[in-house]
Amino acid sequence: MTAKNDYLVKKMLAEQQKEQSAKRALQIFDKFKHHPVLGYVIFAVVLVLLQVLAKEGMISTSFIGAVGSTLIYCIVGLGFCLLLGYSALASLGTAGFIGIGAYITYFCFAEYNVGVGVAFLLVIVVAVAVGVFVGFISLRIEGIYLAIVTLGVAQIIKEVLSALVDTIKISAKDITIFGMGFEIREVKQAVFFLIVAIMLLLMWVTHNLINSPTGRAMLAMKNSTSAAQAFGISLMKYRLLAFVFSTILAALAGLLYMLYIRSEQNSAGTLFTLSTSLNILGAVIIGGTKSIWGTIGGTFIIFGIDKMFLQDIKFFNDNPTLITIVCGLLVILVVMFFPGGLVQLVKGGIFKLKTLFVKWRVRRYGIEE
Amino acid sequence: MALKSDFLIKGVDFCQMRSKVYVAYRDLVFQDNVLKKANKANKFRAKLDKTEQPLRLLLLTEDETRAEVVDKPVEKYAKKLRMKYRVLREDVKRKKAKALKADENADVTSLDALLETTLAEHEKLVEAKRAELEALFQENWNNRAINEEEIRSKLEALVAGNAQFYDENLVKLDQEFEKKNANYSKITDLRVKFWSKIEGVFADLIAKQNAKTGKKDLEPLPEDVILSARDLSMHFGGLKAVEALDFDVKKGEIFGLIGPNGAGKTTVFNCITQFYKPTRGDLHFVTKEGKTISLTDYKVHDVILKGIARTFQNVEVVKEVTVLENMLIAATRQYSSGLFTQMFHLPLLKKEERIIRAKADQVLQYMGLSLYRDRLAWGLPYGILKRIEIARVLMCNPQLIILDEPAAGLNDTETVELAALIRKIRDDFDCTVLLVEHDMGLVMDVCDHICAISFGRKLAYGTPEEVQASKEVQEAYLGTGGND
Repeated sequence: MTAKNDYLVKKMLAEQQKEQSAKRALQIFDKFKHHPVLGYVIFAVVLVLLQVLAKEGMISTSFIGAVGSTLIYCIVGLGFCLLLGYSALASLGTAGFIGIGAYITYFCFAEYNVGVGVAFLLVIVVAVAVGVFVGFISLRIEGIYLAIVTLGVAQIIKEVLSALVDTIKISAKDITIFGMGFEIREVKQAVFFLIVAIMLLLMWVTHNLINSPTGRAMLAMKNSTSAAQAFGISLMKYRLLAFVFSTILAALAGLLYMLYIRSEQNSAGTLFTLSTSLNILGAVIIGGTKSIWGTIGGTFIIFGIDKMFLQDIKFFNDNPTLITIVCGLLVILVVMFFPGGLVQLVKGGIFKLKTLFVKWRVRRYGIEE
Repeated sequence: MALKSDFLIKGVDFCQMRSKVYVAYRDLVFQDNVLKKANKANKFRAKLDKTEQPLRLLLLTEDETRAEVVDKPVEKYAKKLRMKYRVLREDVKRKKAKALKADENADVTSLDALLETTLAEHEKLVEAKRAELEALFQENWNNRAINEEEIRSKLEALVAGNAQFYDENLVKLDQEFEKKNANYSKITDLRVKFWSKIEGVFADLIAKQNAKTGKKDLEPLPEDVILSARDLSMHFGGLKAVEALDFDVKKGEIFGLIGPNGAGKTTVFNCITQFYKPTRGDLHFVTKEGKTISLTDYKVHDVILKGIARTFQNVEVVKEVTVLENMLIAATRQYSSGLFTQMFHLPLLKKEERIIRAKADQVLQYMGLSLYRDRLAWGLPYGILKRIEIARVLMCNPQLIILDEPAAGLNDTETVELAALIRKIRDDFDCTVLLVEHDMGLVMDVCDHICAISFGRKLAYGTPEEVQASKEVQEAYLGTGGND
């Protein structure tokens, strides 16, 4: 008889094993509990699942279409997170930069038919060039003046573009993504996946930038320019960086918008006008400027809710202007009661839930003497 | 080919920074490896223990075995029942309160009885469980037919074998990690060599350019002087905030700049740190390498690289981040990672982050701020914020520390502590301190030399006693005597 076969020893060993495995499970859970990137990946997976469900016919196509276009605005919002939340620069030129991205895409596909890869490169290069140019001129000033200058720039861009071509339209046949062609029905799905992939990448990059010397330098600059300079932070460099980053993201959003919606009339539509810039500014402020999740949440409230839910309700469908009123009311309420944005509300809510849980336990089990 | 000399100098700095990072990280890797080795050895030990465990358990005495097999499970079971009982107890408490509220003379004895019976029931259940387990234990214990001596010898043999295994493994681990360390040193040497080669290229280019343009090095300052201002003037339009000021700060001393309100002390500071470009005059400074430079050639955000760090009159701590992150902000220029590295958090950034965080921890420890490490700077007391400012300065490897009214807003004990702290920092970090202060007690106590100014002009210079005795200074502070 070996030691392991003894009944008592077996029992004791089993007990020890149980304790150890419980401990290990707790360790693994702790490791992943606060993993920052995991949340982004889960978000992307959920979005992909939504699209798959829509393909199976379980979700209406208009809903998924609304999600897709909202995600495009989310990308613009991410740029604003760095620009407004970390560098405290308010730009109203976003619509112009979106326009640049959209027009480049139009020329790439409809006129020269060169594919997505080249379009991407071109959009990024032009966005950097425009961002650096506008930034160098306008970033010597701050606050409301910067907003006015960028507003003017956006207006100039809009007029120039509209003089070029008024209606830009890409046919679904022309769209190829990295060499793959799609049937007309499938194009929208493919572009949706592309949007989700880019969104995930950009969320990760923004997160990394925020949690690196660059993000901290921007915060220092936002709080006190003189202290930042004394510790070797060049104001122009970091302001320009934030500005160019947000320009690139806006232009990329323009590109994705052209691929997803595929047509826009400059003079009749509102995409390239001030209202887009203002809406994005509002969305970021509502969500919470310093948080990636806040930015995304705010964008979903401003751009998503009416298209995703309210339009399905008959009352709102009959009176479309009421949607704007509801959104406006939301903005007022959030800004009045949660100046830190919805993130503040959510954080407070989580804290409240935790305290509620403790209270529930005390009520259920009482306090042991 | 006329490369800008600015760019070349930055290139040299960058190469030096990279070399430093790799060397510093090598030491960290060595430290890590010691931990990793111990960890691996412990894991192996645990594995060996596992093989010995059954025999050890078999050799336990009757009481010990009973404690493991009977008492522990019974205790767990009792705990479970206790929780159930607590739920019932709270329930009863509420019901009782409700009944009594409805009717003061309500009969609640049944509820109390319920509690008591449940408690008794649970006790019985526990006893039953104990009896069951005990019976099982007794049966197995009595049926056990083992030769204790044999097992003991078996265990001894196993332990001896395991010990040998362990030692062999230890030797193997030693070799493995030595090899790893050697490899890492080699890689580090290669990296350092690479960067120093590039640095050499930049240095050559600088030398060539200097030869071409015929630019000469500045005339070196006297040996013990670190900062010298000659004919320093700063005019704002018609206002002459500083006018023709001359002073020398000696290496390793604590130099005080005093004067009545509006005398231009802070303006002098801002001129030194290049927040203002002086209207006229020279500001020469000796760097760590012993080279004399003219400060006015540098931009305000490059002055820190030359070893001049300053604090502010009204504390400018970043309030929305933690104290530790404030330290990291101060060290922004010590990162050599580019934008791409930061965007994707490549290994180089992680290395630098570790090195600088370790340094920040050291500085916080030195300043006695470890307690506040992860606290937001928001809402910390003023004295602590002042300390954070000084800690931030220490993060920048300063040659010259400029303190703008360090004692403003501190109480008397804190001021006394501050004087000691300033001296300690000067000695420990081997640097020079230049301070502006209104608290005459502190200035006279701590300074080696003092320069008194009024309306931008120098009144007196010398040791504290000399300045105190100076008639001009007394007049500037107290006004001229009424009789004259």
